[in-house]
Amino acid sequence: MPEPAHPAAAGVPRSEAPRPDAPCGRRFPEELLSGFLDGVLTQSDQQRVRLHLEDCPSCRAQVAELAGLREAALTTRFVLPADDQWDERPRTGWSRLARRTGFTLLVLWFLAVAAAGLWGLATGPASVLEKVMVLGGLAAAALLFASVLADRLRTLPGDRYRGVQK
Amino acid sequence: MTLTQAPIEPAAAAPGEAAAPRSDAELVLAARRGSAAAADELARRCRQPAYLLALQLLRDPDDALDVAQDALLRFFTHLDRVRPEDGVKPWLHAIVRNRSRDLLRRRRVRRIVRSLESDRPEDRIDPVDTAPGPHAGVERRELQERIWRALGELTEAQREILVLRDYQDLTYDEIATLLRIPLGTVMSRLHRARRALEERLAAAGEVPHA
Repeated sequence: MPEPAHPAAAGVPRSEAPRPDAPCGRRFPEELLSGFLDGVLTQSDQQRVRLHLEDCPSCRAQVAELAGLREAALTTRFVLPADDQWDERPRTGWSRLARRTGFTLLVLWFLAVAAAGLWGLATGPASVLEKVMVLGGLAAAALLFASVLADRLRTLPGDRYRGVQK
Repeated sequence: MTLTQAPIEPAAAAPGEAAAPRSDAELVLAARRGSAAAADELARRCRQPAYLLALQLLRDPDDALDVAQDALLRFFTHLDRVRPEDGVKPWLHAIVRNRSRDLLRRRRVRRIVRSLESDRPEDRIDPVDTAPGPHAGVERRELQERIWRALGELTEAQREILVLRDYQDLTYDEIATLLRIPLGTVMSRLHRARRALEERLAAAGEVPHA
């Protein structure tokens, strides 16, 4: 049987109105079984679960089953990578800074070249090859940007994690 | 492999006495002051926990190693933001979780489908006998493999909360902080995930016996 709730867990709010969704079909908030198993219930909820379990074999069985699953998961040992599989990468953040600076400079360079190309087309005579190079490059960049944007927008409504800080 | 939480100020060792292992908080402070040895020791302590969480969330050892290494890089880049009094673990968990999530999102965007063949539990779970009795170890390992397989069939949100509670043994408080959800929601979401896991096992005819 699980340990009693510890005081730090008293912050778990009391369950709301009972719902008839317990495995036994009685009006009992089923999630309390997990709270009971994890020892995080308030004393009154804990008592409530104890009383329920006393005369409910199906909920008792479920608590035992969940306890078995938790115990098996908790004792699972995983294959770990050997020490030599870890990169000896710099931990100073220097590489990160260099990457960001490089990327920013690349974007600035692209914008400058694009602006110069467009300015050249607008103000002076240009050969067909020059026009193809400037307009083709800009069209390719615009297409790439639009495709990435479309992917982002398509996944945005279902993306529960968009607010998560990096 | 456990990340310890201990007093921030190191206790002075008596002359001739071997220096006690330093706590994570002490290592963070020393690494911030520029101690390469402290940074190395901290990196050694953080590696495996970061990898384990990434593996449990992503289920792919190569991706997990990439994420863990990237997470460590970020961890040390922003070492000045770590609050030693809160311990290293929550900060590390948050970074690994966010990096794992980014990767899962990219997989979705690019519609990368993982082959089931590449997610065989026997390739992930170390056959270490942790149970008493001659047959208990084998049975337990089989159950662990079934659970791992069933875990892969759950939704990302269900798998995440199960990993955090039942594999990583985080408290409800820690899970609530990490997932930014109320404490009560942790309990209900966790229970739904446990039930879903049970149902998957039952559907496969593999109801565990406690």
